[in-house]
Order: sequence, then C-alpha cells, then structure tokens
Amino acid sequence: MEIKPESPCMVTGLPGAAGVAKLSADYLVKQLKGELFEELYSDAFPPHVLIKKDGTVELLRNELFYCKRSESRNDLIIFTGNTQAVSSEGQYEVANETVMRAKRFGVVKLFATAAYVVEKPVEKPTVHGAATDSSLIEELKQFGVVPMDTGSITGTNGLLFGLAALQDIPSICLLSETPAYTTPTGRFVVDAKATKALLEVLTKMLGIDVDMKPLDEEAKLSEEFIRRMEEIEQRTIDEVRKAAASRAPKEQMYT
Amino acid sequence: MTELVGIVASRGMRSVGIIAIDYLIKKLQPRLIDELYSTHFPIIYETQPSYAAHPDHSGMPGIRLQKGGAVLPKIEFYLSRSPNLLLIRGYHANFQGQYEVAEQVLDTCEKHGVKRLFVLAGYGVGEGEVCCAATEIELVEALKARGIGTGYEGPFMGFSGLVLGLAKLRGIKGVCLFGRSQPSVEDPEYPDPQAAKKLLESLSKVLDLSLDLSEFDEKHAGQSETTVMGS
Repeated sequence: MEIKPESPCMVTGLPGAAGVAKLSADYLVKQLKGELFEELYSDAFPPHVLIKKDGTVELLRNELFYCKRSESRNDLIIFTGNTQAVSSEGQYEVANETVMRAKRFGVVKLFATAAYVVEKPVEKPTVHGAATDSSLIEELKQFGVVPMDTGSITGTNGLLFGLAALQDIPSICLLSETPAYTTPTGRFVVDAKATKALLEVLTKMLGIDVDMKPLDEEAKLSEEFIRRMEEIEQRTIDEVRKAAASRAPKEQMYT
Repeated sequence: MTELVGIVASRGMRSVGIIAIDYLIKKLQPRLIDELYSTHFPIIYETQPSYAAHPDHSGMPGIRLQKGGAVLPKIEFYLSRSPNLLLIRGYHANFQGQYEVAEQVLDTCEKHGVKRLFVLAGYGVGEGEVCCAATEIELVEALKARGIGTGYEGPFMGFSGLVLGLAKLRGIKGVCLFGRSQPSVEDPEYPDPQAAKKLLESLSKVLDLSLDLSEFDEKHAGQSETTVMGS
C-alpha cells in the first residue's frame, strides 16, 4: 500500500518496560483505525515465531500504520511491532530505517513513547519528557509534562528519538512512570495505567479525541494486578527480614 | 500425493521432531539429495536448550566423529518418491545464523518444488493429543476437522519455527504438528520417543501415508548419540 501523507506526525512504540510504549501505539492504531501499510522484518529480531491463539503462525516484525486525518489535522504514522532487535547493530539498523522512512514521508514531528521506570509503587503516574529543542521543552511544560534533565532511554524506543534528532526531525519523547513489574518468567506486566497517563498527554498534544473507556478497564485490571504484585513483594521482603533476624547471632562474633 | 511435501524437523523440545524424522528416513529409505553446511552450526552449544539462541553465545564449532571419520554439522535433504516427500533433517544454527540458514532451507525447498511444508516438533505441557499450528487459518480449520486441534500459544523457538514463519512470508503453506511431552528441566532435549510416535501417527493420518510404525523403538529412539569430547 502506497501512502501520501500530509504533514504527518509519527508516533513510535515498541515492546519495552511494562509494555507502555507498545500498548500506547497499539491503542492508537485500534482507536484511529490505522491501516497497515508496511511490515519490516530483520534477521536481528529474535529467531523465533509466535503461535497465536487461533493457531496461526506469525514472524516477529515491526509495522507501520497510516491514519488519515481531517484536513485541519496532521496525518499520523504509527510505528510499532511485536519485538525489538536484539543486537546493538540491529537496534540501530531498525531505528535508522524507520527514521529514514519518517524523513521520506515528510514527518513534521516524531513522538517516541517509553516507560519511566521507578522503584516504588505509582499511585498517579507522572509523564516525563524530553525534546530536541527548547521550544518543544516549553510545549511539554504546557501539557503538564515534567522535562527530564538527565537519564537514559534504552533500546529502539530511545534510538528512534535520538536518530530523528540527527535527521533534524523535531522530536519529543514521552515517558510514563511505572514500577515495571515482571512475572517470575521475566516477562513485563503490562501497565495500562501508565499507558493511559501517557496517552492522555499524547492525544492532547496531537489534538485528537480518543475514547479512553476501553483503556480505563485495562488500567483497573493492571492496577489490581500490580497491587497484588506489590503485596507479594512486601510479604517476601518481610519474610526474608524475619528469617534473617531469627538467624542473627545473639552475640557479636569476631574472627 | 502428487505434489512434493516438505517435512521439517530438528532437535528441540524432548527431541520429539528429530526422532520422528529419523524414523521416516529409516523407514522410507529416501535418497540424500542435498546438504547444507554453515559456519553458524556449533558442535557444542553454549545455551541450554540448544535452540535458545543468544547473541553473546555463538557456541563452539567442530566436528562429530562417526565410524572413525569426521562429520561436520549439517542439514540433510532426503527425497522420497513414494510417498512424494522431501525430508529435511534440520540443525540449530547459533543466533547469528538462524535466519540465514532458515532462508537457505526454504531456497532448497523451492528449488525442489516443495509446495507445502509440515513441521514436526515437541510441545512441553505433559502427555496428550498432538496439536497443531499453521500459516493460514484455513489450514488450522482443516486440521481441526481431522481431529487435530490447536493447543499451544506463545513463542516457537529455533530452526523449525523460523522455517515455518519465513515460509509464510514466501507464500508457502505450512503446518506444524506438536507432539506433547513432559518438559525436562535438567535436559530439555532428552528424548521422548512416545511423543514422537504419536506425532508420526498424526502425520500419517493427515497425509494418508499408511506409515508402518511396527519398527518404531519406543524405548530407545533418539538415545543413540554419544559424544566424547576432544579439542
């Protein structure tokens, strides 16, 4: 499918901490009925396939969706996928290919999404941000985003933001606070509450109306799930402390 | 069966796939028509299981000794004319070579005119009926109609999964049959001949092979390979 976008903005979000970036991008695609126009495959992606619930097989890939908007609004290109490249070279390659496409489509502003990982429970996620120039930093402040002075954004989600800047594409990165819990097998627990906080800012910045009700439901579920994770975590800490206290020698020993 | 059907398997979960394809090779006496070698084939893997490829662990290259001679790790292609099958005995490449090797295997399949692929693999959820996955939903439905349902959702790692996924991208229709097996934490590839036998029964049914399984060694299949290390 060939697209001819008019002054498009690009939103990027690949799987990463707490699934915030991917869920943000996926949610926009679904709500705005984005049309898939390009698939990207790479041998830097993990060498496996996914078996979906219906029994069909899917290769790991990244995708570009197109959302045609009304005349008064910028069109939207959304970049997402079911994986990130594994190697450093692969991450640069995929990010660079995507940014080159953004350049070719005449993207006027790129919005990268990411998670802001904090080591504490999050009641109301703050959205942090970074931008390629000072006027965009001011814009961030107007939308209640807390500008980041220091820090790092790892992986393709960060590289997209950085490489877009190198190509003189005005870029913003929005990062939503999340404790980024993982399951015992190491998978991230998707944090829909953090995603919702990010999308509330992003949709305002893009000037689009998106129904947040379906995400509210998901946010409630993930909030409950995360609350339980926090309880388990606290219980484990208490038990470890208790066990350590019971094993402590009564008298200090010197050797 | 007029069109050439490719059957793909490699060592993997409880070695279910490789046991199955080895039996087919033994029973059908096909002709070895192609071999694929790669600098990405380790003789010793640094990951466990072997198919859990990792970019930082390429494995060690080397040879296997067989009857006093040296054998390089390779993928073998066997052609059977009755039934009309291309049997592909796979080998897991390291992380750097997985995609390249899977693409080469599909090139070889296309060179020989393979129109459909059947992948044989294991699925670690305990004993049970064989389940399936496929490149198209229509194929899944057709298998369901023949009594083979879906049952696995998630990543399918290694050589065989990648061949199936890349086949889909090329427009080659593909089916995977998973023999259910009990996972082994100590040795994920420890052979499970019973699961392999069930897999072969299902394959025979789906492809109308009338496969004679009377010579299948349920106790010892897949346990013949021993390795003495040297360097």
